[in-house]
Amino acid sequence: MAESPARTAFAEEALTHLDTLYRGALRLTRDPDSAQDLVQEAYLRALRYQHSYQQGTNMKAWLFAIMRNLFWDRFKGSRKDDVSLDDVGEFVLYDKLKDEGARPEADVLDKLAASEVVAAVEKLPPLHREVVLLVDVEGFSYKDAAETLGVPIGTVMSRLHRARQQLQKSLYDYAVESGIVRGNGAPEEPKE
Amino acid sequence: MNCKDCSNKLDSYLDRELSNTEMLELQLHLEGCPDCADSYEFQASVKRLVKVCCEQDKAPDAFREKLRQILT
Repeated sequence: MAESPARTAFAEEALTHLDTLYRGALRLTRDPDSAQDLVQEAYLRALRYQHSYQQGTNMKAWLFAIMRNLFWDRFKGSRKDDVSLDDVGEFVLYDKLKDEGARPEADVLDKLAASEVVAAVEKLPPLHREVVLLVDVEGFSYKDAAETLGVPIGTVMSRLHRARQQLQKSLYDYAVESGIVRGNGAPEEPKE
Repeated sequence: MNCKDCSNKLDSYLDRELSNTEMLELQLHLEGCPDCADSYEFQASVKRLVKVCCEQDKAPDAFREKLRQILT
């Protein structure tokens, strides 16, 4: 049966945000098959609740909210499964590297593999990971991120701050483990 | 503005979430404080790195087509 033109137009517009939804689902589930299942279910639900979408508002945020709510309902079972961030204190990677004699960008950032950066993001607890995905990866404003996640803007800001610190701590640990910097933060001597 | 105020507002400055006045105040501080400016550049580089690395993933073409078949 042919779908109505309005439904088809809505679906086409929604599909322009597929990469954002897929990336978000992939980072949340950490599994390509689960990500596709989650995104497909999110789109079907979006079409079912098409009437609740207000034209002219942020469709990407609306779709992301549907997807992440499904994630929490379906893949995690309960928000209690989320674990809190380790208390890394005020970890500032830049200060740490600089204090220890390294050049933070040239010695560390430029040498990190993309896969390790993604791994550091995926290591964050989901409640913190999703804020980084929205603000840092997808460029959401704090207001849009807050509406998408159903939390106050202050919560977005505090989660983002802690997530960035944890992320930088993970990148530092990786840089030490992989020999990019020595344990004291100094860069490795170039090999002959 | 001192360095502590700057540090406290650096996330919001990085994300362009301050008012125009606050953005200008912080910008002026960064122009006169090499330590804070370097720290800001580093934070901005980490943010860019996260974006670039995570944006590499795109929905597979076959999945996109499958969804289009289902939805339209």
